[in-house]
Amino acid sequence: MREIISELSKKLHSGEVSSVELTSEYIKAVEEANPKYNAIVHTTFEAALEHAEAADEMLKEGNADTLCGIPMVMKDNICTDGLLTTCCSNVLKGFKPYYDATVWEKLKEKGAVLLGKANMDEFAMGSTSESSCYGAPFNPRNTGHVTGGSSGGAAAAVTANMAAYALGSDTGGSVRQPAAYCGIVGLKPTYGSVSRYGLIAYGSSLDQIGPLTYSVKDAAIVFDAIKGFDRRDQTSKAFDYGNILDYLDRDIKGVKIGIAEEFFDGIDPDMKTQIFDAVKLFEKNGAEIVDIKLPALKSALPVYYIIACAEASSNLGRYDGIRYGHRTGSYDSIDDMIYKTRSEGFGAEVKRRIMLGTYVLSSGYYDAYYKKACVIREEIRREFDETYEKCDILIAPIAPTTAPVLNFKGLSSVEMYLSDICTVPINIAGIPSISVPCGIDKKGLPIGMQIMGKRFDDAKVLNMAYFYEQNSKDWAGNFEGGVRI
Amino acid sequence: MTVTKTEIEKLSKLARLYFSEEELEKFAGEFDEIIAFADTINQSVEGGTSEIRSVGTELVNFENLREDIVMPSLPNEKIVSNVEDKDGFFSLKRSKK
Repeated sequence: MREIISELSKKLHSGEVSSVELTSEYIKAVEEANPKYNAIVHTTFEAALEHAEAADEMLKEGNADTLCGIPMVMKDNICTDGLLTTCCSNVLKGFKPYYDATVWEKLKEKGAVLLGKANMDEFAMGSTSESSCYGAPFNPRNTGHVTGGSSGGAAAAVTANMAAYALGSDTGGSVRQPAAYCGIVGLKPTYGSVSRYGLIAYGSSLDQIGPLTYSVKDAAIVFDAIKGFDRRDQTSKAFDYGNILDYLDRDIKGVKIGIAEEFFDGIDPDMKTQIFDAVKLFEKNGAEIVDIKLPALKSALPVYYIIACAEASSNLGRYDGIRYGHRTGSYDSIDDMIYKTRSEGFGAEVKRRIMLGTYVLSSGYYDAYYKKACVIREEIRREFDETYEKCDILIAPIAPTTAPVLNFKGLSSVEMYLSDICTVPINIAGIPSISVPCGIDKKGLPIGMQIMGKRFDDAKVLNMAYFYEQNSKDWAGNFEGGVRI
Repeated sequence: MTVTKTEIEKLSKLARLYFSEEELEKFAGEFDEIIAFADTINQSVEGGTSEIRSVGTELVNFENLREDIVMPSLPNEKIVSNVEDKDGFFSLKRSKK
């Protein structure tokens, strides 16, 4: 199992390699591989080498963190002071924030090295990353297929060894689903456990920043580094996780695994078989299987789209061409400027979601859509809470299929939305969930398994995923190309 | 449920977005399908709880809010760094009319 962060950290701490040398290797890898995968949209090599020099100083002083000196990438919606952050949208092209997101502030303090900002669906809206204004990233496992969305570039960069790890954001599955499509690990932590300050908002009550890594242990290391209360985010929570890494090796004997058939409706049969093989492995090692009913799940998808779009239509109201980003070239009045700026700047999917959000919040429809969605959201949350009285974790697929082909125009918007059916309930409930590779389909594409826990049980979720990873085939496997350790 | 072109035009005003005639036609069709999908929540669940709160609400401790202390502002130079006119203000060109 490739535990890239731990392996690199050992080499950096022992002095076998310096961060500047390592960063230079990664820069070379990005220059070689990025034209093929379009994973990184803004490179920050100059800053990376500065970060690496600072990291080498920290390493020399001793007591440096595990992440010190290790090169990584961040999704293009996480603010970085003085470095481009555009949400892969024309409306924010050229925007350089003047402050750092809390997650980046924390990583910087630990000596992280930022190689660049990763490609994504415009404003994190999509399931394939094809709505990026810079064009879609390509799946390193098979470049004819999508990387998944919306953290597709982040997943591709890690998969192709162009970065040791990445940070993405997950509003309805946007860390877990690209991780599954690319055959790596993606963690969506409990809502409130990682500060959202400096994450450009899509659906504020659903968004959560999470790591994309090659292994579960790497995900635990990154989560440990970015979690914690932040006074600048009113929804962040001070929760004492203890030492998460100590939790990874815990025995799984007696852990109750819930299986809800609602998650498996319409799932590719091969995928179902692979996931049940994984469940059998847990059972063989002392876990108990419990049948669970989650009837409210059937409403999760429309509830998600109503709430996310309502919040998006409000969050995206700030893009008016006055304070930052794109401004239209000619206009007749301030109103005309705002209309033209937004119409030119936003892509089709973003416009669709702003319109849906405006519709469900507008007078006459608010009660029928938005208010009702909030009520059902409560029911879904309650159903999950009750479920976790009967079992410790839930296991499900990540998506109904493996990575679809690129530029596939055969699906309508609604059919595209259906690909998120297994991941959105988790964001509605605010619970933690991880995607772990658990097989390969007939086309050679990776299959992901989803492990979910109750709120703030992130350590248990990581523990189960780690057990599976250590006791099954190395599904993530090695990837030819990029930086070799 | 069908969303009329007039309704879409009204929504586009609320959302501050222009659509060409052609876009409007295409969009009306797509929007119908999306609304029909959103409408499934009205068929799937009966009753429900009257209590509404967001996921974040319970995480906020209203008893322990921070002191309201005046903190230093960001420098003007930084704030206007993303604006074309940098005289310390957000500025717009005079309209033609």
